[in-house]
Amino acid sequence: MKTLVVPPLVTALLLAASVGAGQQPPVLTPRDSAFHALNRLAYGPRPGEVERVAQEGVMRWIDRQLAPDQIADGDRAAREREFRVLHYDRGDLAQLYLDAQRERRERKADTTADQTPGPVEQQGRRLAGQLAELAVVRATISERQLYEVMVDFWTNHFNVFLGKGADRFLLPDYVEHVIRPHALGRFEDLLIATAESPAMLFYLDNWESVALGLNENYARELLELHTLGVDGGYTQQDVINVARIFTGWSIKRPRQGGDFEFHESVHDEGEKQVLGVGFQASHGMDEGIRLLKLLANQPATMHHVSQQLCERFVSDDPPDGCVDDAVAAWRRSHGDLRQVLRAIFTSPDFWAPGTLGGKVKTPLEFVVSAARAVGADPDTNPRLAQLVARLGEPLYLHVAPDGYPEKQDAWVNSGALLDRMNAAVALAAGNVPGLVVHLDSIVSPSADADRLVAALDERILGGTLSPNTRKVLREQLADVGDPLQARALAVGLAIGGPEFQRQ
Amino acid sequence: MIISRRVFVKSGGLALVSFGLDPLFLARAAFATNRLSGYPPNRPVLVCLFQRGAVDGLNMIVPHGDALYYRERPRIAVPATDVIDLDGYFGLHPRLAPLKQWWDAKSLAAIHAIGSPDASRSHFDAQDYMEAGTPGVKATPDGWLNRYCQHDRQHADTPFRAVAFGPQLPRILAGSAPSLAIDDLQAFGLRAPRLQPAARDRLTRAFEQLYAGSATGLLSSSSQEAFHAVQMLQQLDLAEYRPTNDAAYPRGRFGKAMLEIAQLIKADVGVQLAFADVTGWDTHVNQGASEGLLATRLGEFGQALAAFAQDLGEKLRDVVVLTMSEFGRTVRENGNSGTDHGHATAMLVLGGPVNGGTVLGRWPGLDPAQRFEGRDVQVTTDFRDLFAEILARHLGARDLSAVFPGFTPDPGRFPGAIRG
Repeated sequence: MKTLVVPPLVTALLLAASVGAGQQPPVLTPRDSAFHALNRLAYGPRPGEVERVAQEGVMRWIDRQLAPDQIADGDRAAREREFRVLHYDRGDLAQLYLDAQRERRERKADTTADQTPGPVEQQGRRLAGQLAELAVVRATISERQLYEVMVDFWTNHFNVFLGKGADRFLLPDYVEHVIRPHALGRFEDLLIATAESPAMLFYLDNWESVALGLNENYARELLELHTLGVDGGYTQQDVINVARIFTGWSIKRPRQGGDFEFHESVHDEGEKQVLGVGFQASHGMDEGIRLLKLLANQPATMHHVSQQLCERFVSDDPPDGCVDDAVAAWRRSHGDLRQVLRAIFTSPDFWAPGTLGGKVKTPLEFVVSAARAVGADPDTNPRLAQLVARLGEPLYLHVAPDGYPEKQDAWVNSGALLDRMNAAVALAAGNVPGLVVHLDSIVSPSADADRLVAALDERILGGTLSPNTRKVLREQLADVGDPLQARALAVGLAIGGPEFQRQ
Repeated sequence: MIISRRVFVKSGGLALVSFGLDPLFLARAAFATNRLSGYPPNRPVLVCLFQRGAVDGLNMIVPHGDALYYRERPRIAVPATDVIDLDGYFGLHPRLAPLKQWWDAKSLAAIHAIGSPDASRSHFDAQDYMEAGTPGVKATPDGWLNRYCQHDRQHADTPFRAVAFGPQLPRILAGSAPSLAIDDLQAFGLRAPRLQPAARDRLTRAFEQLYAGSATGLLSSSSQEAFHAVQMLQQLDLAEYRPTNDAAYPRGRFGKAMLEIAQLIKADVGVQLAFADVTGWDTHVNQGASEGLLATRLGEFGQALAAFAQDLGEKLRDVVVLTMSEFGRTVRENGNSGTDHGHATAMLVLGGPVNGGTVLGRWPGLDPAQRFEGRDVQVTTDFRDLFAEILARHLGARDLSAVFPGFTPDPGRFPGAIRG
């Protein structure tokens, strides 16, 4: 056997672990499984939801989540109607962009004018704020939880930065008509939809890439981030040829609605080769479609995207097993994302004891799970989205094309943790303006510490409350006589505490 | 005991994931073991300021001795009579007048024609490259200031080692080494309803106990850093702070950030790196000359830097302030009396260790033949050469190639911003 040099800290950990050696791994109770599934496939349980899912049977609930169209979602649909951003179609947004540009030009040309943004630009900003809040509201109240989780996943995988020029006005359409329709569909369809989207064409500069002035930006990110992955076995020459294939993939002028448009006249007419596959000359836009289909079904793509899905659903550093399961399902189903996800959720790695509670929530996951835990009913006021931004994840505002990171080291730092604690206290105390919370759905007001602690453990923390947290909560509640204050303090500490940061 | 072979192989012999631990946690734990007691009071400090939006280097450090400058900018050139002359050729924008005394005291230098070897004129790409420290490479996961912290650990004894002033940790400080983002120094920590100090202290204690007893992994080490920082700040009388030497900070976000940086440095809590943003430099339209949009921004900028230097007094001996911006602007003014995205710009270094009173870097001139793509000031100093010099000569960094991967630092190319 090879000798391993093990640092002392690790030795201690291994010894601690070996105390349990010989025992069977703990079998998950239906409640444990339900809590785990609700933390990963959903944005955490609402009070009482763990019991409901446990009763239904967790696998049955998972299968229902994989068919979101069959899940009634009236509350979300009703709330969505209040968001004005959804009333604008592509043409309206293009017009708004033109108006904002004109307003800006006029303002800047007039040195005596007040240089604060004019009404149209402000309207644009409000829409952007609404777009972010809409994402948070959907995640909070939708019954189609897995679907909303996947919308967030793809929004990051195919990231577009709202702050880049016209993208402020292109993003609403991108979310509604590119990401959402394909979030649980086939990867290939989603990939093609993003490639043809004005938002992506503008963000990664492909709209201005022409045969005699190649821009490689989109081509590079398509290979590195969207499909094959950085070690996916492509060369710089492949990047150039991909860029050549996409020359002419552009956008109509805003005045003509700003839709996708293929410009034959600036397309590179030559022959190309990508990953050793030949693309005959003069096949216009078909070359790009063929290339996207080729990329969508490459083993490297299957592995890269499956790895990322497993990072999201299983572990920051997922075991090979679940990734292999996902890849196999991908191959079998030709990239049917529901099959790929189902393979992950039925993989032993997903249910392994070490997986439970092994991930730290992202700011979005933290805020939404907290809002759900306190029975919040958010409206169009962008407060929750602002909270997510404050914790470090302003939605649609990740500058780089890689999207927000999934791993905990990006999110856990001392300032961010204090902010989470503050957010938890404010939420529990009903101090987030514009946000109605229903603590009664957790427990009625009470000064009985034991009763409060038991309710928190059962209704919010899925039975994961540690003895230390129990002890500290009891001590803190001991001298609080007012039942309302006691409850708010208990809920605030529970949501701001360490157990709730995990999932 | 049985550990599956795969977990062993995958994580190099350590089945950490299943214990809720992770390599980053181990990295942080290693940082924690380096704690010293007390901080040497004369520890070198670096303050990095990012002028987001691409500052017009030519109207900040003005080549007033060059007729081409006036020919190319008929409406926005700063008249030679207004420029504060530095060396007969270059001069300060008049609104930077408060900085002249530091120039004369040889504590302020400018580096002209500095920038990125990457040609991008996209704000966000160029900012990303400058903060990652890897021009042209987007996949770099962390920022160069954070990488410096990772490789130079003897200072990792305080939660205030690296502090960014702003709501979020900037890209430049992203990474595995601990760093703090502080939006408002006085409000850092737990906030209680109606600002009751007793309630705040109680919440702080409660959360501290929760995390001390129940948190694992990174949550544990980060929360320890957080409460350590809160505790240290509580011992300072932040609300009562008065700048010394009658230093007058300008109103607004940037002035406040500079004041708080000075406050922390003077409090001896162990700040080694501080970072702040200053925005509003994207002057495409009506940027003005001696007066106007850019002048207003430079006025606030210069006043804040001067107040900071004044306020630090003796302490400025150990401090270097470095300003940076993602790129410069076109030599020729555009049709809207502004300037468009260009290439090289100018950066400033201010502080006791600075080799001040000179404009450093090789000046390529404004002649169209010498310009980048015929329009912009050419980059003759890679920004990494300046950053690397400051890290090496001011902070004593040893492993520069780890901080700037893919770049071979060569002292022969250092612009000479730090006194030898």
